[in-house]
Amino acid sequence: MGIIIYVIIIFIYSFLFNTVMEETLNGQIIEQVNGEMLKMSQVGTDPQYLLEYRERRIRELRDLYHLDDPLLSRVFWRAIDTLTFNYGKSTIMRSFKGETDVIKIVVERIPNTLILFTTSIILDILLGVWLGIKKAQKAGGIMDKTTSIATMAVYGLPSWWFGMVMIMLFAFSIPIFPSGGLSSVPPPETFFAKFVDLLYHMALPVITLVFIGFWGRAYLTRNIVLGNLQEDFIMSARARGLPERSVLYGHALRTSAPPILTMSLLSLLGSFSGALIFEGIFSWPGMGNLYWAAVQQNDIPVLLGNLSITTLIYIAGIVVLDLIYGFLDPRIKVGGKA
Amino acid sequence: MSAEKKPKKSSSRLKMQLVDFWNEFKQIKFGIIGIIFLVIAILVTIFESFLIPFPEASTRWRDITYWEDNPRNAPPAWINWFSKKDYTPTTYIDDINFEENIMSPTMTLMTSVIEYDYRYDVPPIDLIYRGRYKGSFTLNIVLERPDGNVLNLVNKNFSSPSWKDFRVAIGTEAKNPVQSFAKKYQNSSVQSVKVNNVLFAQANETILSNPQPLKGTYKFKVNIIKTSADTIIEEPKLVLSGAVSGILGTDNAKRDIWSGLIAGTKWALFIGLLTSAISVTVGVIYGVVSAYYGGIVDSVMQRIWEIFANIPLLPVLIVLAAIFKPSIWSLIIMMCLFFWVGPVKTVRSMALQIKEETYVEAAKALGASHARIIFKHMVPILIPYSFASMALNVPSAILYEASVSLLGLGDATIVTWGQILHDAMNGGAVTNGLWWWVVPPGIAIALIGMTFAFIGFAMDTILNPKLRTR
Repeated sequence: MGIIIYVIIIFIYSFLFNTVMEETLNGQIIEQVNGEMLKMSQVGTDPQYLLEYRERRIRELRDLYHLDDPLLSRVFWRAIDTLTFNYGKSTIMRSFKGETDVIKIVVERIPNTLILFTTSIILDILLGVWLGIKKAQKAGGIMDKTTSIATMAVYGLPSWWFGMVMIMLFAFSIPIFPSGGLSSVPPPETFFAKFVDLLYHMALPVITLVFIGFWGRAYLTRNIVLGNLQEDFIMSARARGLPERSVLYGHALRTSAPPILTMSLLSLLGSFSGALIFEGIFSWPGMGNLYWAAVQQNDIPVLLGNLSITTLIYIAGIVVLDLIYGFLDPRIKVGGKA
Repeated sequence: MSAEKKPKKSSSRLKMQLVDFWNEFKQIKFGIIGIIFLVIAILVTIFESFLIPFPEASTRWRDITYWEDNPRNAPPAWINWFSKKDYTPTTYIDDINFEENIMSPTMTLMTSVIEYDYRYDVPPIDLIYRGRYKGSFTLNIVLERPDGNVLNLVNKNFSSPSWKDFRVAIGTEAKNPVQSFAKKYQNSSVQSVKVNNVLFAQANETILSNPQPLKGTYKFKVNIIKTSADTIIEEPKLVLSGAVSGILGTDNAKRDIWSGLIAGTKWALFIGLLTSAISVTVGVIYGVVSAYYGGIVDSVMQRIWEIFANIPLLPVLIVLAAIFKPSIWSLIIMMCLFFWVGPVKTVRSMALQIKEETYVEAAKALGASHARIIFKHMVPILIPYSFASMALNVPSAILYEASVSLLGLGDATIVTWGQILHDAMNGGAVTNGLWWWVVPPGIAIALIGMTFAFIGFAMDTILNPKLRTR
């Protein structure tokens, strides 16, 4: 089901961005043919033949990319190209190794994004769930109220803005963290030193992400746990004289776990796209930073390729989430619903 | 929030429901705080032009001539309260009265004395004398310092047959007299003399190397000789562009950040409210329709919903904005295109329950049309939920606009908080620690977000009684 949705979305993209993509392709074709002509004219080919060749070659290439077909067929071929990860060549940007294939530019950045986000997701969930349980335990208490207000305060807070402030504070005013990037220049030699260096560079972005994120997680956990605490089975557990600790962790948390986990993952998937901006601020060489760079250099193929891959990861995340959900909570079968 | 503002023509049941809702809402403290904040934000929007020193900030944000008298990257004026040194704030002296002396039929001498009480440690960045004129005249400015020294700063001729602005920056015009004045006291090989440092410094042998502030009343004598009869001079004013400026300082294009911030409020409210109102309305109706018809309609509508729900919103918005270079309107439309998915699932499940209520059945039995049942009997029940959902959607709409603007893809004809932050990123505000440029727009976004979060969560608490504290 996820795959079908992905295909449909790609078709929508192809339709939306068809014109731009074609313009870029057209420009690239002409550039390529001009380059070929230049080489041939240096060898000393007949100019008449050259012009002829140019005409023919452009037609050939346009044929290859189906540029002269009717609109629907063009959209179809564009979508097929995208689905087979054939994003074409970038116009300006290069990968770290200097290649121009869009797919390579995008793919080499995925691990960086994943490292940053999985780390912060794990910390985020741990902290958030812990705080949420504490809040639910003493609902209406001082701690619950203050943290609830904090939740609402950070609700509309842009994580990237907070990142800017953190960089300003902890990288320039009090220089204890690096201002951005993945590793020091030059990178350290040994594996261990590399690892430490990575952690050091990750610290500030992760702290920022977690700080913004875990309030919401705590609020959510609180609401779910609190809802469960009012169920009959909790009352019966209490009536049986079980210690409060075991009621809370054994009974209430157990039933709350599936929704908490899925909601957390879902909102993190949501924040994943939001935090793409965030990477630009920290010049973290991930996919978000790629958007930033591609927008600034107006490199349409990279932009679109990146978008398709992001969508793919996003949908894959949702599908995995559904599987986890069905696994954790056998009462609910959402398997077929993507 | 808008409980009372709803049109009253709908059934009395709905009215009662809303009144009840409002009564309950009043009991939630942070909800009330949210309402207060919202009212403040609306008041700020209404009285915008009274609150900002540059009333055209909104329309001429990117017009450098509008801002040219301000200092560059100046911190806010109130840092004087916290710092040991006093910085000169930007001051506008525009109540300048001229004494006119008619010397001959064509020549008129206009003189005025501008007194300026200087009691700061750090001198202004520049002094600017400006106005509008027609005709021709000679401008001469003489400064009498508190210690009795007199400096002839500017002698300049202007002539134009039509209306024109004149602008004299004393910092650049008066280099030579000031240099020779300083050289009298300290013989230094320093070539570039900072005019204002010398003008406001004690005349001693460290006037160049270590200028000490000379406090007291400075008199600027402005002599204008009109050299033709039809010469008119309007709106003359002296601007001391200070070392600190305004309520929130200035950015690297000399713009007053406070003005930008206030001018951005209305856009934030506008974008947030419009986007969430449209998208939630669409989403609620979509959910109700889907639930009401059920069967094949429902499954088709749910499939369509799934496709939209699976699109990662921000990247798509960025790419759309990068390719189509949107105006604020098209940006709002783009956001609505993807935002409506939010409430659909909840609304659908609620509507499925409402559908089974006896009064819906009764309406059906009475032969009411589908549209009537949907809009008269089902949608109204969901109105409180819709308001909560709208309130919670506003911050994300503002946030998305800010994110798109941060990449420099916003509407270039208006000023939004995201755009101020974009300029701050590009202007090196983060690396140079220009906090007054980075912090306030973010706080503003967060405050508006908080306002609507307060309101939305308060409604949420009413709608889900389970969440109430025991």
